[in-house]
Formats: sequence, structure tokens, C-alpha cells
Amino acid sequence: MKQLIRHILSGAALALATLPVSAQTVGPQGETATLSSAIVVADENIEAVRAGGHTAALLWHDQSDFVNAVTAGATDEFTRFGIEVVATTSAGFDAAKQRSDIETALVKKPSIILSLPLDPVTSAAAFEEAKAEGVKLVFLSNLPSGYKHPDDYAAIVTDDLFQMGKQAADALAAAMGGKGTVGWVFHDAAYYVTNQRDNAFKTTIENDYPDISIVAEQGISDPARAEDIANAMLLRNPDLGGIYVTWAGPAEGVLAALRANGNKTTKIVTLDLSEPIALDMVRGGNVAAIVADEAYELGRAMAAAAILDLLDQDVPPFVVAPAVTVTADNVAEGWMQSLHIEAPKSLSAQ
Amino acid sequence: MNSVKTRLSGLDFQQLVVYIGFLAIFLFFALTLQDDGFLTQRNLTNIILQTAPATIMAIGLVFALSAGEIDLSFGSIVAVSALSAAVVMQEHSMAFGIFAGLGAGVMIGAFNGLLVAYFKLPSFLVTLATMGLFAGIARSMTNLRSIPVLNETFTGIFGSGKLFSVPSLVIWTIIGVAIGHLVYRHTKFGAHVLATGDNPRAAQVSGIKVPRIRFYVLTICGACAGLAGLLYAGRLQAARYTLGESDLMTVIAAVIVGGTALKGGKGSVFGALIGSLMMGMLNNGLILMNLRVSDQMIVRGLIILLAVAVSLRDKNR
Repeated sequence: MKQLIRHILSGAALALATLPVSAQTVGPQGETATLSSAIVVADENIEAVRAGGHTAALLWHDQSDFVNAVTAGATDEFTRFGIEVVATTSAGFDAAKQRSDIETALVKKPSIILSLPLDPVTSAAAFEEAKAEGVKLVFLSNLPSGYKHPDDYAAIVTDDLFQMGKQAADALAAAMGGKGTVGWVFHDAAYYVTNQRDNAFKTTIENDYPDISIVAEQGISDPARAEDIANAMLLRNPDLGGIYVTWAGPAEGVLAALRANGNKTTKIVTLDLSEPIALDMVRGGNVAAIVADEAYELGRAMAAAAILDLLDQDVPPFVVAPAVTVTADNVAEGWMQSLHIEAPKSLSAQ
Repeated sequence: MNSVKTRLSGLDFQQLVVYIGFLAIFLFFALTLQDDGFLTQRNLTNIILQTAPATIMAIGLVFALSAGEIDLSFGSIVAVSALSAAVVMQEHSMAFGIFAGLGAGVMIGAFNGLLVAYFKLPSFLVTLATMGLFAGIARSMTNLRSIPVLNETFTGIFGSGKLFSVPSLVIWTIIGVAIGHLVYRHTKFGAHVLATGDNPRAAQVSGIKVPRIRFYVLTICGACAGLAGLLYAGRLQAARYTLGESDLMTVIAAVIVGGTALKGGKGSVFGALIGSLMMGMLNNGLILMNLRVSDQMIVRGLIILLAVAVSLRDKNR
């Protein structure tokens, strides 16, 4: 699970053809999504915010390319408004350490905390102290149980999860010529982020592509078992035109199974950026596309939401950042759009 | 004066390292972070609260290491115990929950002890295996779900409560260290543990039931991990399969820095407490210094390496 969440959140994959997003992602409490592009703090507020002498703490769940990009987006936005980041932590997916990190950061009396609560249950008590002290809370992806908007937190910011699943379906359908059979490898656990993405893929295939049918469905909870699962799926369905894999970690196992079977025709689509997966894609292998989120934009939107809350302006409860589809043609641009870093050299050397 | 000199010359430098290191780190943070709240009562209390579960685990490990054994599974035991307590309290009273949590710790510890003491298997390999085994069981117990702990009496006793203005986690730390120190230093059992770790054959010849000692120390380690699981469940008001997972290296480092020999025969419960507080203070101070996360990890690693190297180097002279 730890590795799973790491891949999901540290992921990114893109669709350069960033679609005009009609967000159908709904929040953990059924909130309607607002696009991150709508969360903007006007320049005329700069002086007022600077005068407040505000500070922020970034209390993350882990370290990764994804977290670095979110941090960069948030820090740049804070810098624009003269807000100093006074503490940055990584809980290493340890709920107890996240609780300790919050307590330690509160000693520096931050005005704002941006954080990814590790899970709704254990995070509820962890953020209680910050909430009681009136710190502006903006959460990434998860919401602590029982927290109410706008009294307890300013906003949740996350990926446009439905769009990610939909774009994965569109990319796989395009790679298959709009017809054929598909295997659906979904995340077999009650986890908001993956469940939304997986179901969006399935719904899109079923509704938008009548000539494509999902003939095999297999849940996965341990990425290490992906290769075995793919082998079993291919044994029963040797003519699969494509496989959707819930995130990049298990996709690496599925790719290994296809290679071991000498299969060069079954296409793979997955979510979140991964160098080995992208390398296969640019070499013309089985991987057709990767769909990723815009992590830098997530950070910028989180910071902007917190600043709007400081200014006592209305902030929508649930904000989503767009997804991008990365193909062999736009790896460099896609990597930059998602993570705000150059694509690995191995990809540009192809 | 002479008696002071005699006593000082008799002190083991290895056992002093932790106090010197603790003081040095404390003074460094006190000077550099005086404007960042390091010395506030709130922050210093935070450090004790945050290290309470690790301190309890460290006490158990002092016994195991002193007897020449090691327990690598205590992190997994923490998770199983916390989840057992949380699951049981969903349907039953707090007493059953505490019994389930502590009972799980004791039973897993006894299981380790049985394999080591009576099946003559090395504790390193046994507990390496049971670490994975019980980590898997923790994951499957609730299908990766976190379980809330809503019993306010429980969360008060084991987490956020206070007695005469003293936080309950501080009280647990004091009780744990006091009992641990008493048993370790002032009972026949403690002496047998040290004798077993120092030279098992000699201990056996002198009439000490070495297998029984090995069984007991690993059971104690499990019991301490079980209590640590309850403390985590109380503090977080929830149990999660990852609890304790990242404590293994921190606790081992705290115990070694605290003057307990890796190969047995020597140790200190009070040193383990100071070692644990030192680890907590490092985490705390490096965050308040606003270092990048990767820099926090590098500095913490270097300081622990230095402390361990100094204490072990002296021992090998």
C-alpha cells in the first residue's frame, strides 16, 4: 500500500493535449469540483498579504518527484506574496510521524499548513491542534474524517481523477484503432484516488467505445504480483488488444509479462510518470500512453487557496488540477508540464 | 574526593556517550533555535510525547540485546497490537481492547522466544521472518483500513490525557523506565539476563536457565511493543497497519547509543531513554531549523553514525 500510494501521488503522467476540462471528479464528500485555474489571487492583494507577515509549513506524506513539484508550485506562489515557508517535513508514510511533524511545525506558529493527510482516520486527530489554533489548512487529495468546509479547512486540491481515467481510455482506444478487447487491472482496495481513476476508465470504454469490450478484469493490491496477474490474464485472453493498469508500479510488472511472452502487440496504458514505462513507450514498445497530473499546478493552487482564505475570500471546497496525456511524441513537454523538471536523459536520447 | 575519582574512573565511556551527546545536541539547538521556540515548554513536552512509544520499545530491546538476542519484529508487533485493540474496542469494552493489544504483543513475543529458546534458532533470523509475517497479518487484519479509536477513556489513558497536569504519555514513559530499570539493575532476573548475554555457557554452568532467560527477554520485548502499540492507538485515536514500521532503526540506534552492547552482557534502560529522547530531539530540531527534508535525513544519519561509532569504538579498545 505504501508503495502504491507513493506511485499514485508521485506520479504524473500527462496529456499534452490538455483537454478543456469538464471535471466530473467529485470530492470525498461528494463535492463538485472546481478547476484549479479558477483559484487565482489577484495581484492587487500582494501588499495586503505581505503586510500580514504570514508563514507556511509544508507537511508532506513522503518525498518524490511529485512532492518536489508540488512544493515548487506552492513555494513560488507563496514567494509572490511574501509568505515564508518555515518548515518542510516528510512523514515517510508514517501516520505517527505526521502527527509529530504537525506538532513540531506548530511551534513555529505558521499561518498556513499545506499537507497530504495520510488517511482520513488517523489524520483526524493529528490536525485537530492546528485546526484549533486557527491555522489555514489546505489538503492534498485526502480529507480527515469529520472535517467540514469552510470552518475546518480551506480546500482540498487534487488531480482531476475522472479526467485521468477518461484520458487513459481515450489514449488506449486510439492506440487500438477503436476496436478490440481490453484487460482492466484495477486497484483492489477502498482508496478514493485510484477508485475514481479506475472507474472513469471503465465507464468511458463502456460508454464511448462500443467496439471495444473489457473481457478481463483483475484487481491488484500488491504491485509485486502484477506480472503473475498479467500472465494469467494473457493465458486466458491471448488476443488482448490492450491492458489498462491502475498505476505505473504494477504496469512495470505487466510490461515484463508481455515481454516474457514475446507479445509486441498488446498495448498498455497506465497512470503516473515512470521512467521505465516511458522508455518502453518512446522505443515503440507496448506502452501507448501515460496519463499524469500537473503536480506543480496542484502546489500553486493549494497555496492560492490558502492565501484566499487568509484574505477571507470564498474558496471552493474541492479543487482539481488538469491531467495530461504523455505519448512518445511529447515526453519532454509532458514531463515538464507535470513535474516542472526535464525528462530523464534516457528518454530524450531515444 | 577519592571516592568520586574512583567512581568516575569506573564509569564506562560507552555509557557516557549518550549523555554527552544529548547535552551537546540540546545546547546546540538551544543556542541556534532560541528564536524558533525550541526551548518552549510546549516544544520540549512535544519531544517527550513523540518519543514515548519508541522509549517503551527501547526498554524491551535493552533486555533482548543484553541477553545476546535481538528482536527485529517489534515494529510489526506494534501494528498488530494497535489494530487488535482498536478492532476489539469497536465491539467490546476498553478492558478487552487493552487485553487484546497487550495480549497480542505478549503472544508474538513468546512465539519468538519459543523458537529462539527451545528450537535453538537464531533470534536475528526468527524475528526477521516474524517481522514480515506479522507485517502481513497487520495488513490483512483490516484489509489495509485504518480503524478509529473512539473510546475517550482509552485515548485519555494512552494518548492525550493528563494526570495532575502531567501528560499520560509522560507518565507511561516514567513508569516504563522505572520498572525497566528496577528489573534490569535490582533483580536476580536482570543479573541473569546480563550473565546470559555476557557468556551463555558460563551462565548455564552457574545454574542459570539460559533458554528460559532467552524466552523471557523476547516475551518482554513483545510486551513492550504491545504497550507501544496501545500508546500509538491512543495518541492517534486510530490504528493503522503502518504503525511502528519506521521505528526499527530509530529504536535500535537509541538503544545502542544509550550504552547497550550489541553482543550482550551490558546495557542501560536509562541510557535507552536518553537515546530515544536524543533521536526525538534531532527530528524536532532539524525541522525547526527549516532544513530541506533530504538534508534533515543526512544530518540525522551523520549524527547517529557519529554517536554509534564513538560508543562502539571505545568498547572495542
